[in-house]
Amino acid sequence: MTYSIIARCPKTGRFGVGSTTFSIACGRRNESVRPNVGISKSQAFYLRGVDPLVLNLLAQGYKPERIVQILNSDDPDFEYRQFAIIDRESNVIAHTGPKIGQWAGHIVGPYYATYGNGLAGPQTVQGIEAGFMKNPDAPLEYRLLEALEGGHNAGGQATKGRYRPERSAWIRVVDRLEYPEIDIRVDLHDDTIAEIRRVFEEFKRYETYYSNRSNNPADTISEEEFSSRLKSNNR
Amino acid sequence: MTYTILARCPQSGRFGLATASYSICVGLHCDGAARSNTGVSFTQGSFRDANNRFAMNLIAQGYSARQAMGELLANDPQSDFRHIGIIDREGKVVVHTGTRIAASSVHRVGDGYAVLGDMAAGEKVIDAIATAYDSMGSLDLEERLLGSLESGRDAGGIRGSKGRLPERSVALVVFGKRDFSDVDLRVDMHTAAVDELRRLYTDYKPHEAYYLQRALSPRNAIPSMEFADMLKKEEK
Repeated sequence: MTYSIIARCPKTGRFGVGSTTFSIACGRRNESVRPNVGISKSQAFYLRGVDPLVLNLLAQGYKPERIVQILNSDDPDFEYRQFAIIDRESNVIAHTGPKIGQWAGHIVGPYYATYGNGLAGPQTVQGIEAGFMKNPDAPLEYRLLEALEGGHNAGGQATKGRYRPERSAWIRVVDRLEYPEIDIRVDLHDDTIAEIRRVFEEFKRYETYYSNRSNNPADTISEEEFSSRLKSNNR
Repeated sequence: MTYTILARCPQSGRFGLATASYSICVGLHCDGAARSNTGVSFTQGSFRDANNRFAMNLIAQGYSARQAMGELLANDPQSDFRHIGIIDREGKVVVHTGTRIAASSVHRVGDGYAVLGDMAAGEKVIDAIATAYDSMGSLDLEERLLGSLESGRDAGGIRGSKGRLPERSVALVVFGKRDFSDVDLRVDMHTAAVDELRRLYTDYKPHEAYYLQRALSPRNAIPSMEFADMLKKEEK
């Protein structure tokens, strides 16, 4: 059981993923996002080698539609897989195998896909989409966070009619550089969606400071000093 | 305000690092730091995320760790502010401690590993990390790295101007033979992040084989909720 959103920001071309699940440490899957290439995020009985394969194919010039055929032709368990792919041109495709179990499904939008399995129902993927579309002018990472919250508030994960907790979550955004701009994780928590908002908001307070410290260390105050200024500003 | 151990496992050839920091989300800076069949490199002091992949690309094209370090320094006008470790496929270890990072910044180089400490509570912290790593030669790399990090915490961890500062984030990363990680665990913001990493690792480890197996054989896989319940029963 997992629900995710992948997207390419229509204004900036940045790629981003937001994902949450019952499994531990879902954010370890950083092979799923490749700057200037695309995103392939597989879930439900996922083979970890699939996402790097898809991204290699995208980088060669394959389109997502053809890649799905290629994956299908080499996988006897294709009916158990769920994934979504988005490329540099915002071509999006999603696949939800019929044998994954209830409820599983996806929505494909013009530059994003929301999808999940072991969910309360279609309302979860609709809730992800609604959260994502709430502030379409916001930077991609804020939209991904609202998307996860939207999915959670719409019922999130459930089996046999019972809500199942999210235990890990992940938001990653890449721009043109090889390393991510945003990569925020909660690996194991009882209240994961609230926790990722807490970490996200704190990271945003530090983001510019961290960037200056890397690029212009001679003019940077110590983090201890910065933290205490933050605290006194918050009072 | 970070202490780190980078290592190449002499038995398996796997590469990994464990890092603990007063900064939040230190795992962000570990992106691309280790690469299968290539090496591991990390830049702290003033983090420079681009160095990770740059070092790995240089080693992949055939440079030694020493040559790669030379290029990292020549390529960076701020190299005086960096604290860098690089290990290559041969297990060669090279460390750079910039002259303009805090005076308390220190390092140790051992057999196939390096320890970096910035604003750690003196030499005893990195000594404790090195001693712990040396003492766990028979364990898997991830166990050695985690245990070493805990020894650093126990020896005093991170010290600021007014005394001890908490480890607020940690990352533990290991790459083996595949083009994705064997282990990649993080705590991004916590008041006792090293303790939290142990809790996370303990819960994660029994799932590791399950997560692989359910994908290889989905027809026979048991649901993840059931698996988690089984684990709980075994504990009792």
